[in-house]
Amino acid sequence: MQAENDSSLLKVENLDVFYGNFQAVKNVSFEVKPGEIFGLLGPNGAGKTSTLSAVEGLINPESGEITVAGFNIRKHPMHAKANMGVQLQATSFQPELTIREIIKLFAGIYGVSLGTEKLNAILRDVKLEDAASKKFGQLSGGQQQRVSLIISIIHDPVLSILDEPTTGLDPQSRRQLWDRIEAIKDKGHAVLLTTHSMEEAEAVCDRIAIIDHGRVIATDAPESLIELHKDNPEVINASRKGKITLEDVFIGLTGKAVRT
Amino acid sequence: MQTLIPKTSAAFTSLVRADFTTQWRNRRSVVMSLLVPVIILISWKGVIDKIGGAFALSMALTIGLTSIGIMGYAVSVARDRDKGVFQRLRVTPLPTYCIMLSRLTVQLVMIVLLTACVFIVGYQYDHITLSGSGYVLTFITALLGGALYLGLGQMIVGLVKNAETVNSTSRLVYIALIMLGIFGELGMFGKQLKEIVHWSPFGTVKTILAAGMQLSSWDNTTSMALLVTFGYAIVFSFLGIKWFRWNSAV
Repeated sequence: MQAENDSSLLKVENLDVFYGNFQAVKNVSFEVKPGEIFGLLGPNGAGKTSTLSAVEGLINPESGEITVAGFNIRKHPMHAKANMGVQLQATSFQPELTIREIIKLFAGIYGVSLGTEKLNAILRDVKLEDAASKKFGQLSGGQQQRVSLIISIIHDPVLSILDEPTTGLDPQSRRQLWDRIEAIKDKGHAVLLTTHSMEEAEAVCDRIAIIDHGRVIATDAPESLIELHKDNPEVINASRKGKITLEDVFIGLTGKAVRT
Repeated sequence: MQTLIPKTSAAFTSLVRADFTTQWRNRRSVVMSLLVPVIILISWKGVIDKIGGAFALSMALTIGLTSIGIMGYAVSVARDRDKGVFQRLRVTPLPTYCIMLSRLTVQLVMIVLLTACVFIVGYQYDHITLSGSGYVLTFITALLGGALYLGLGQMIVGLVKNAETVNSTSRLVYIALIMLGIFGELGMFGKQLKEIVHWSPFGTVKTILAAGMQLSSWDNTTSMALLVTFGYAIVFSFLGIKWFRWNSAV
């Protein structure tokens, strides 16, 4: 099947997501280009995961269009899903399976031929060779994230969707994960990630969208957003150390109130 | 952009292999599913002459099928839904029907295993033998009865979202079905309840299993029980699929 000719690897247009009467996502639009790391930032309950769930085909949006590598997620879900790799926020696998078996399972699902040598090389690459016979629940948080990432990119997708990939990781593991995310970008593939870490967004994202109360309120490169909003009184008020950071812009635009 | 969609058959094979591995690692629960029917057959050794071999085998099989469908299938589906295992599979290019089909394949093999186990124990301990056609027909009726209980299990996970609640509900339904089935069928709760039990999911499955073992005893009531079993299986499965949510949080 031939995809629609489009330069972006992900295009979200006028997306609306409802849970009953509650509208979680309101007219959200953005696109992610090849070789780009795009961050979706927002406070808790802002609509980030709902947006990702719609992109991943886990929920049916009320309206709007989502195109992955030129394939409409509603019209050609299998083609769209074959082009994306997903790391969910709370990933879990069959608790009885070993890491080796889990990787083999997903390789099989994506139609990737994975011999013992290749599988060992993958495990060696992410320093999980010794953990290959362990169950997912027996791994540390960092190891679990590495397994999740391996599985999400095992079929070399053009679009990787990572939902809060560094939550709970120590600085070393986080840096290592950033390197892996940048390696995906270097191949000309695209990454869409959500994060609560402004440091992470500044460090790895080429562009970000700030989403609040279901709406995109700003989209730009992190440094451009800082430049654009540095004189905003709310942003200055949010600043703690004089120098305006992305976190100050984020707090300035979304408010100081704690979200539940 | 050209995209190659992985072959559904290959993806399904990988999933079935993983589900069988999971079942193998849970072999203690598999043994438990087989244990109750086996214990029944062994403990009824002294009364086989009075109640008949077909009655004993069909009762043991019905209890085993109830255990597989309600305790095995429903509880494992609820647990994996709660853990997000299904959501992880749903973001892959695997048709969603394959996820359930793979689970059902494992349970169908369990039904065949249970039936074979009951036949072997019935022969070894109680010296119950059936004709060749009786064995074949019992495998078929066991699969049909199994479909009914898998449908019932599906209905429970469709109705109840929380894995813990599914667990306790399943135990309750399992015990209620078995108690009412055994004692009701023996007429211990009166004639009216015996009639109700006879046409209940427990009773119809037991009826077709017993008649399948002794084809000469197949009559109009058995044919009606077969139709009712079909009906139960279709209604339970339809409602179970309709009510089922892949994510317990929604």
